[in-house]
Amino acid sequence: MEATNQKKLYRKVLVIDDNPTDRFIAEKMIEKCGFAQQTILCESAQEALEYLGALEHEPDELPQLIFLDISMPGMDGYGFLEQYAKFPEVVRARSIILMLTTSLHPDDITRAQNSPFVARFINKPISRDKLDMIRNDFPIVY
Amino acid sequence: MQTKQNSESLDQSAHISEFLSAIKTKSDQLANYFIFSFFAFGLFLATFYDTWQIAVGVGGLLLVAYFSAKMFLADLDFYQYVLSAVLGLFMAQFIYQMHGLFEMHFTAFLSSAILITYQKWKLQIPLLAIVIVHHALFAYLQYSGVDGIYFTQLDHMSLQTFLFHIVLVAAIFSVCGLWAYQFKKYSEMHIDLIFKKKEVENMELKRANYELDHFVYSASHDLRAPLNSMLGLIEIVKDETAEEHTLEYLDALKGNAERLDAFICDILDYSRNLRTDIANDPIVYRELLEEIGKNLKFMGDSSRSVDFITVIRGEEPVFSDRSRLNNILNNVISNAIRYQDASKEKPFVRIEIDILVDKTNIEVSDNGIGIPEEAQPKIYDMFYRASNKTLGSGLGLYIVKEALGRLGGRIRVSSAVGVGTTFYIEIPNRHTDK
Repeated sequence: MEATNQKKLYRKVLVIDDNPTDRFIAEKMIEKCGFAQQTILCESAQEALEYLGALEHEPDELPQLIFLDISMPGMDGYGFLEQYAKFPEVVRARSIILMLTTSLHPDDITRAQNSPFVARFINKPISRDKLDMIRNDFPIVY
Repeated sequence: MQTKQNSESLDQSAHISEFLSAIKTKSDQLANYFIFSFFAFGLFLATFYDTWQIAVGVGGLLLVAYFSAKMFLADLDFYQYVLSAVLGLFMAQFIYQMHGLFEMHFTAFLSSAILITYQKWKLQIPLLAIVIVHHALFAYLQYSGVDGIYFTQLDHMSLQTFLFHIVLVAAIFSVCGLWAYQFKKYSEMHIDLIFKKKEVENMELKRANYELDHFVYSASHDLRAPLNSMLGLIEIVKDETAEEHTLEYLDALKGNAERLDAFICDILDYSRNLRTDIANDPIVYRELLEEIGKNLKFMGDSSRSVDFITVIRGEEPVFSDRSRLNNILNNVISNAIRYQDASKEKPFVRIEIDILVDKTNIEVSDNGIGIPEEAQPKIYDMFYRASNKTLGSGLGLYIVKEALGRLGGRIRVSSAVGVGTTFYIEIPNRHTDK
């Protein structure tokens, strides 16, 4: 714990996943690795959009990272991205979106890579190594 | 879809024209036999009234006319019309040679029947025209008392007889023309029908393929999702326990879950290679290797890092199927990492890529455990595993070989136990213009 405390923490991370186990894993891993001060869990894309929309006037409260699952019932990850595109620039500028999925479908991968909002395509499950890689590749800016 | 449609209709007209050209070739052959027989028949007729000059002169000229038209205007169908006219003129020649023997008029019917083979009703026209002109002219000349004109042996022919004669000839030619037309229409309809049936079958096949593809992806995703949740949970439990046995069990559990996951991915790769079309992507090997290296970082035993050496030579632009190429390299390189030799201090994977104009040579070598000589011929077999120590599905190199087969490439191995393994891969460069 000593070592992780010295690393910088993301202030806030949002996890969007319909699977409760995967939400739990993400939350637990983020906590264990000292990855973020606060983890917000949303069980649907709709809920996440409402959460983000409510923070429109307090952009500092927006999450720095969003872990987004692709396959979800109802609105899926791409549906979320379509709606997300409608947010004002102030909202969008604050967050980095990472697609989190088990899909190997090349269409899914290209679609995720073609979206201007998706920074990376990450295979589940979230692990220590992957969080370290993210921390390394997307340095925390205050 | 647009281009697909286009190529299919093109294909169909290609089939019709192929069919028509087959008819043409066959008919041309038959025409050769007939026209030589006609010439020979003329020679035979010459023995009756000593008309050798006519038989050789006129008959010869007709042969020359036909064959020169065929030779110099081979691309056009014009020679077929010449053939029609030539056959008409042979009739006139035979009538003359037999001094108006009535039965010689039947040659015209024979000619008309011969022409059906081309399945073109228009070929009857030159023949009919020549018959009419010949009959009218020669009948007129003979009954006007001009000498040496042999049209008929009848002393007198009424206009009524003459008209009956011509109308019957025209009727026979029309019927032959009609048959020719019908044959052609029927053949075309038949080809059309076959094609429509094929098209429907193709569409059904495409849909079945698409559905199967979709099913494989969905099934693999649905199998992997809970499996990866399990792997995540295992990580958390490992983090929260210090009990040695539990950790050992967890590692075994993790190993098995990873093995199952890799197996599902392999099956997916296998089915994808089998059914997707070959792409033609620009390839940048440096980027490809970086990506593979990044993915393999999380592989297996992370306590020992494997030295990753890459050498790329050549500047040629390379085109190939990125997804398959990625698959091939990923499998071979991950094998090199997986089968590392624990007794060696510095495990390495060395990837040397030589880019040439029309192909790329890739050499992947390691200082791993090596493959026993007797196992080497079997390593590309489906589900074959040379080592029981590790977690492979036995599909990796099989998929590599299959994918290389689709790309027109080759793979060769040289290995010694305890020394290491080198795979030599050759992949043809698919140029953009193809």
